[in-house]
Amino acid sequence: MLRRQFLASVAAAAVASALPAKLAMAATPKDQLVIATNMSTMRGVDPHEANQIESVEILANLYDRLVYFAPDNLAEPKPQIATSWEVSGDGKTFTFKIREGVTFHSGNPLTAEDVAWSLHRLVKLGLSPAIDLRQWGFNDQNVETLIRATDPQTLVVETPEVWNQSLILASLASSACSIVDRELALGKEQDGDLGRNFMQASDAGSGPFSLRSFRPNDVLMADAFKDYWNGAPAMRRVIMRHMPESSVQRLQLEAGDVDVATRLSSTDLAKFESEGGVDIQKVPGFGFYYIALNQKDDILSRPQVREAFRYLIDYEGLSNSIMRYYGVMRQTIIPSGLPGVLDEAPYKLDVEKAKALLAEAGLPDGFSKTCYLPAGTPYFEFAQSLQANAAKAGIKLELLVGDYLGKFRERVTDIYFARSGERLPDPHSILQSYASNADNSDGAPLSGLLAWRSAWDVPKDMQEQVAAAARETDATRRAEIYTALNQEYLESSPALVTSFERIDVKAVGKQVSGYTGHPTWVTRWDTVTKA
Amino acid sequence: MSDTDLSPTGHEARWQGLTEALRKVLTSVGVILTTLIGLLVLTFVIGRMVPADPVLAILGDTFDQTAYDRVYQELGLDQPLYAQFFHYVQNILHLDFGQSNVTKSLVVDDLARVFPATVELAVLAICIGTLFGVPLGVISAVRRGTWVDHLARVVGLLGHSTPIFWLGTMVILIFYAMLGWIPGGGRIDLYNDGLVEGPTGMLILDAALAREWEVFRSALHHILAPALLLGYAAMAYLSRMSRSFMLEQLGQEYILTARAKGLAQPAIVWKHAFRNIRVQLLTVITLAFCGLLDGAVLIETVFGWPGLGQYLTAALFYADMNAVLGAVLLIGLISILINLLSDVVYRFVDPRTR
Repeated sequence: MLRRQFLASVAAAAVASALPAKLAMAATPKDQLVIATNMSTMRGVDPHEANQIESVEILANLYDRLVYFAPDNLAEPKPQIATSWEVSGDGKTFTFKIREGVTFHSGNPLTAEDVAWSLHRLVKLGLSPAIDLRQWGFNDQNVETLIRATDPQTLVVETPEVWNQSLILASLASSACSIVDRELALGKEQDGDLGRNFMQASDAGSGPFSLRSFRPNDVLMADAFKDYWNGAPAMRRVIMRHMPESSVQRLQLEAGDVDVATRLSSTDLAKFESEGGVDIQKVPGFGFYYIALNQKDDILSRPQVREAFRYLIDYEGLSNSIMRYYGVMRQTIIPSGLPGVLDEAPYKLDVEKAKALLAEAGLPDGFSKTCYLPAGTPYFEFAQSLQANAAKAGIKLELLVGDYLGKFRERVTDIYFARSGERLPDPHSILQSYASNADNSDGAPLSGLLAWRSAWDVPKDMQEQVAAAARETDATRRAEIYTALNQEYLESSPALVTSFERIDVKAVGKQVSGYTGHPTWVTRWDTVTKA
Repeated sequence: MSDTDLSPTGHEARWQGLTEALRKVLTSVGVILTTLIGLLVLTFVIGRMVPADPVLAILGDTFDQTAYDRVYQELGLDQPLYAQFFHYVQNILHLDFGQSNVTKSLVVDDLARVFPATVELAVLAICIGTLFGVPLGVISAVRRGTWVDHLARVVGLLGHSTPIFWLGTMVILIFYAMLGWIPGGGRIDLYNDGLVEGPTGMLILDAALAREWEVFRSALHHILAPALLLGYAAMAYLSRMSRSFMLEQLGQEYILTARAKGLAQPAIVWKHAFRNIRVQLLTVITLAFCGLLDGAVLIETVFGWPGLGQYLTAALFYADMNAVLGAVLLIGLISILINLLSDVVYRFVDPRTR
């Protein structure tokens, strides 16, 4: 009997201790920001290696860069670590004055040497973020000559060719060009890895927050850097929690256990929008939902077939349903907020018109093709809508869902449906991908370009315009070129059929102010306050 | 009659016993090694056959060809398949599972972090499942056809047939969002995070060892809901199996004899019938526990529990083969060890297996 009583008491005590006395909803402290996110795509916190949307937001706060763009003004670069800069008459040499008195989290002073070494490191590691400098002609051999510190407060960046200066400044504002504590990183170097192993889960930055702890796919904590050159942030700590389930994020946001939810489903977002209580931020992203038609295919390469696909998308229906929180209708290739944007949307769902075009192409009975797409919302729902409309026009589409990016890069998919995303607040990187393809042969090293992956031999004049715009130094003239390019793309029958401009949605609790989603993903936490 | 003693001398008997024991040990070691090698080959081959490009999983979609080539080489994918496998096995022998492409940490460190979280959850769940499931099954069998039996069967059927992720979501909706009784997810309150870094990685145990009772309370509070849900699923399975085993025993002649002798019902059930289902029960409990070690992924996802299931799933999604192979090998090894342990326990509970 005694034993039974003992066991019962232990069990009761355990249950009692596990249940809170007061069953009240928790609220996050006023000096802490809790962000719910999905960390599964994150690849560490080395700014010269990680380039996923979640990583970039973290890096934006652990590190500083030479310049930055405010989320509401992507046309005007503002000083960050550089207090000022000058561009030489030939447009190739940028001279930056580095802010004095800035220290890294380690206490080491930040100098122009650190900036130069960081940019060398980015190029030499040659991982995905390196494209932000490599695309302008920097490489392992020339980077140390072209990017150099002339004194502790002066940095010189020479570009191998003349490019529009806003392109270079936009690149330098990206998370890829974060400034790393050279002394700390080299002190942790292993086998000449430039501190890469150390920086996978540690920070070597000077940003407003320093990394406290990081457990992949679990939690990341960052503490305010009290000696930040721009003043200590209001949030003492920022916590990012891995919550892959949208419904769990929603419930925690409702309960006040998180302040920001970043991966909510349309259903959950619609609920918040209808009930209020949180702010829904629709952050524009520099990319599009596209249907890539393989031009190596005899049928898909016919201009009328490419044109027919533009009439098989239910733009309006999708805008009001599936794509409501994922995209804004746009049939061109320059997103809103950038020079050259066009608001025209002449295409509408018109099955009869599509049928007529197919007949004109010599395919009155239609054809069958396979459409590959990534898993998840809204890809499948979008593709189902396309499949239904295509069927009415006689096109039988078989949908294959999964990781087929590799196949697309090998140019072996019939049709590939996905979305793109660029990090430079400039039309160039998007146009380069959608409308340039210098070598359409299978072995060409251009697998990063959507046009090449679609085997689309882009009209030569269009490609020349893309290159010319990147080199044009006059902003007005450049905008004119982009407008003309965009118009030409709209009127042509491209192999990459765009329909919606990408948006990324964040749900922010009403108690939070100053958390503004950034189109280039570098959302800052030091501007955040809580009521 | 000859006086020749045909029985072995004491020395010979000891030698024979030793040889027999050695043979059994060698057989067991052979079985373990064969299983592990089989597991290695199978997972390696499957990993290379999956139509996913691990380089793309690392780089994303925006990069140039130089970056692709660099990562391709770093992963050793430029080497022939047999060389990749040889290097992999060589590294395994040095307990080096390589680096995870997803977390960027050493796989060994990742496993040391996520596996204790899963063990903690699985142990608690199997304890709950066994403590409630076995008696429920036994009582259900003994009172066959009564309302108790029907109720137990309905409870068991619900646990067996209801998708656990749905149950998990409902539990969070009701007990977290509506009533506020349980936390929304994770292993511990953020404010207690990092206060205890114990030797086992199991927060409840480490907090108790460190006498950090606030951390202990927080950890217990967090584990209760996922453990109860997993325990319920285990209970459903174990109660059905216990009922079935017990019904079989209760129909045996020795039970009839016991009843004829006038033995009391509890004595018949627990001292006679139950003794004879212990080995079968041990087998199903072992299987259920092994299932919990790698199969709790849905509950781990719903409750944001950073365990092995989530780790393995993420690794599979992103073609992180080092992590997949490391995790599978660990699960395989633990399953083999648990089965070996249950073999040993059989010998104690059932003299016939000695």
